Amino acid sequence: MNILYEWLKEYVEVPAALPRFIEEMTRAGVSVEGHGPAPGGGGTLLELEITANRPDLSSHYGVAREAAALYSKPLKPIEPAPPEAAEPASGAAQVDIAAPELCHRYVALVFRNLKVGPSPDWLSRRLEACGLQSINNVVDATNYVLLELGHPTHAFDLDTLAERRIIVRTAKPGERIITLDGVTRELKPHHLVIADARRAVALAGIMGGAETEISLRTRNVLLESAWFDPITTRRAAKELGLRTEASYRFERGMDVEAPLRAARRCAELFLELAGGELLAGAIDVYPRPWQPPVLLLRASEIERVLGIPLRGEVVEGILHALGFQGARSAGDVWQVVAPSWRRDVTSEIDLIEELARLYGYDKFPSRLPPARQPVARPPEAEAAAVLRERLEAQGYDEAINFTPVNPAAAEKFLAPGDELARLRNPLSEEVSVLRPSGLVSLVEALAWNINRGQRNLRFYEIGKVYAMRGGGFRERRVLTLAATGLRREKSVGEAEQPFDFLALKGAVEAALEPFALPPLRFDACDATFLHPGERAAVSAGGQTLGLLGQLSPALVAAFKLRQPAYVAELDLEAVYAAGLRPPRYQPLSRFPAVARDFSLLLGHGISFSAVRQVIEELELPELVSMTAVDQWFRGGALPPDRYSLLIRVVFQSPEQTLTEEQIRRLSDRLVEALEKKLGARLRTQ
Amino acid sequence: MRDVLQKVAFKLAQLGASSPSDVNELFAELRAAFDKELGHTSDLGGLEQLRARWRGRKGLDRNIRQNWLSPESSVRFAVGKAYNDFKEHVESALAEKRIELEAEVQKRVEAEHLDVTLPGLAQRRGARHLITQTMEEICGIFERIGFSVVEGPEVETDYYNFEALNIPEHHPARDTMDTFYLDLPVSALPAEVRGRRPGTSPFPLLRTHTSPVQIRTMEKQPPPVRVVVPGKVYRRDNPDATHSFMFHQIEGLAVDRDITFCEFKGTMEYFLREFFGPKTRTRFSASYFPFTEPSADLAATCSVCEGAGCRVCKQTGWIELFGAGMVNPAVYGFVGYEPGELSGFAFGMGVERFAMVKYGVDDLQLFFQNDVRFLQQFRR
Repeated sequence: MNILYEWLKEYVEVPAALPRFIEEMTRAGVSVEGHGPAPGGGGTLLELEITANRPDLSSHYGVAREAAALYSKPLKPIEPAPPEAAEPASGAAQVDIAAPELCHRYVALVFRNLKVGPSPDWLSRRLEACGLQSINNVVDATNYVLLELGHPTHAFDLDTLAERRIIVRTAKPGERIITLDGVTRELKPHHLVIADARRAVALAGIMGGAETEISLRTRNVLLESAWFDPITTRRAAKELGLRTEASYRFERGMDVEAPLRAARRCAELFLELAGGELLAGAIDVYPRPWQPPVLLLRASEIERVLGIPLRGEVVEGILHALGFQGARSAGDVWQVVAPSWRRDVTSEIDLIEELARLYGYDKFPSRLPPARQPVARPPEAEAAAVLRERLEAQGYDEAINFTPVNPAAAEKFLAPGDELARLRNPLSEEVSVLRPSGLVSLVEALAWNINRGQRNLRFYEIGKVYAMRGGGFRERRVLTLAATGLRREKSVGEAEQPFDFLALKGAVEAALEPFALPPLRFDACDATFLHPGERAAVSAGGQTLGLLGQLSPALVAAFKLRQPAYVAELDLEAVYAAGLRPPRYQPLSRFPAVARDFSLLLGHGISFSAVRQVIEELELPELVSMTAVDQWFRGGALPPDRYSLLIRVVFQSPEQTLTEEQIRRLSDRLVEALEKKLGARLRTQ
Repeated sequence: MRDVLQKVAFKLAQLGASSPSDVNELFAELRAAFDKELGHTSDLGGLEQLRARWRGRKGLDRNIRQNWLSPESSVRFAVGKAYNDFKEHVESALAEKRIELEAEVQKRVEAEHLDVTLPGLAQRRGARHLITQTMEEICGIFERIGFSVVEGPEVETDYYNFEALNIPEHHPARDTMDTFYLDLPVSALPAEVRGRRPGTSPFPLLRTHTSPVQIRTMEKQPPPVRVVVPGKVYRRDNPDATHSFMFHQIEGLAVDRDITFCEFKGTMEYFLREFFGPKTRTRFSASYFPFTEPSADLAATCSVCEGAGCRVCKQTGWIELFGAGMVNPAVYGFVGYEPGELSGFAFGMGVERFAMVKYGVDDLQLFFQNDVRFLQQFRR
């Protein structure tokens, strides 16, 4: 809402300079978002943001009323008294409200012999300064009153109204209307229309019809000033895609006591600008006049909500300044009636807000509330913090991606049995489904960066994924990883290292290490978005935790990555359920540990995990750790059906220094088991 | 010849030494043996071992005292003198050798020259997203004053997202929260998300704020309540430098028996001072939200100009930040709380907005492009 400062000051004296006025009005709830010279040099324009509960502020007079209350200044009254001709209006037109629950009041004034023409300069300049186009003197007068008093009115060419009748009714099935903007609109039975004897001639509270609009030929005018139901207006405006100055106001709730005054103010302007005459008596159909509710306001409640007591004079002073009628009844209780333009005030708390607002939010002291309960921290918060720390320590940058994604990309990462959850009203097809996997956009993030010259990337994202499965919708928390390029760039003292599957697996293991999960297993899997030669499912105690592997060459090409990428996704619901593993003290052995390397010749297809399993099954108490150190597939005296695996085993006893003899016996048992169970041979140097 | 060092294990008589000249000869042998060993010593560790052997309390010294300096010996005086001379020689030779070796070490170390200006070797740390950092900072401030962090579903029902927050269907306040609806029935949601009451929309929606979690919290827990709710929220806005169809919010709620507008103000002011610095002043402007009353828009003094007015704050001295207010008693009715006895406040802030103001980020889209050149600026 744009307000001309100079116009505003015609109704109220502002005892402050403009910047202070702006600051004080903003604090009181009339938010001035900006100000500057009005277009056409009409003065200073204030850009107001009016909240949805205060349609009474959508006019110069409404804002002036608020300023008058804020500064305790008198408000200049507007009491229009246009001269009337002898001929009664009631004989010239007829008004019926067929939907009285949706139209509480309809005021019609009838004019004869108006001369429609251009508006004088002062009028068109004011309208244009406030962002409205000048059309002709009659229409401009209604718009001027809209800006001045806030109540929308509409002028019909009386001679185009069939039988000179106005009927306020709901639309008939299939009924159409051509609105002022030239668009033919099909109406629904819950849309409220203004009709004449034959057809709909206006969308109630939204826009007039083209067939009855004021033209240069118009001589006789019926002026409408009415009250329409907010929800009905809002629904129709929304469904018809037609938001106007009028619909904006009616859908927020107009003052049912205002129509007559607004119409008379219009009449004054019509007569001044277009001559002619106003027929005697307003046609005012107002079946059930407004009955203001009586609200109770307790001093005790004021203090309970606001934290300090307000003196009786302060309470009454504020309420009266705002136009409320109030009387103190028994004790510290007031009976209050809100003014008709404040339909938003319907309860005690609304009154308390008015008091706080006008008293000044800044005058209340600040206190911190006493704490009554300890802060609870969900275990997942701790778990997520540990995950983040682990991944960042390994050089993974955190990404945050959008939930809605492209369905074509989403399909590629959809788990078997899952279905995509679609949006009914997406912004575009590109963002029309909820992501079923974090990889949809994390792979996109790799592409974005590669295209900008960043080729060595490691990302993690902790977020949610969404899918339908078996008719049920689920949102789950996941950890997603994606990496590409070099794990380590060459520098003095370090060789270059590409990011590879084992680097990815290491990250997965490191992320899961702090959790109280059974030992992890990595088995081949068949996820189609992964490279058939480098893909695995990770599980713990029979429960699948996620997938990891090299992104399939087809997807590398589809996302235009131009270099291999590695991705993983873990189900955090399962990980969080396991919880963090509390560390536990193990006594330190005072005796030395001894490392022994075994160079094994193994048949192809015998995996390291098979070797480890055989060794672990021996349950040697002296075995501290075992790991693979190297692997060869060619060279030397390697038989064609074998490959070589170098493993390193560490022995240590908590009770003694192991003798050469003991170590030899342990080694023999180990080799013997590997020979027997896996057909392994020790490679002779 | 037997090692001279072994000779000290024997009495002089056993060695056939009976005259001072015999004694001198023995010490000459010792000295020759010492000098030879010293000659072979090439590092400070070896020198230390040599000293232990020749000047230590055990071994040589004890043997000489026991075997050669025995009171009955006739050449005791000669032994004493020769032993003193020998000790003096050993000490000074060791000291000289130490200086020599230390000089050598010094020379060698100086020759081992590394270009210390070469880059260090380390695993580069990953960067936590600025939005996560900002959320952690905001939640952390509230945790310090008794707020617990809770989370909830992103796919919500109309009831929790709107109706229970006093925003019925056709309420104009819905204009500011254009909503994404899902193409599936509400009945497809898990029972705990669906809740007890059906909403007016047959379709679930992407939550437009994290306030539904406040309703869910109050449904589950009797007062007092003090929570902050971080998370993603969605509004059907076309993306530009200040809009995104997905962003992050932290909403908070405190409900108790004696929380008033003053506690509301105190808490908000504390938070903004903690986040933006101790000089920050807060402006409370009256505003309107269906779920709070009285409501306020909060602004903080511009941290660039400290309130004097500059380009960042459009010369106003204030940066508008978020909305808040006293919980509207109507909301208590939806969760079965007793409005006449309880009071509280609620607030809701956009995390991106706070991050942009505090770190000077000028385009909201940067938060979701995941450009590492942006992300890594905020590595800690």
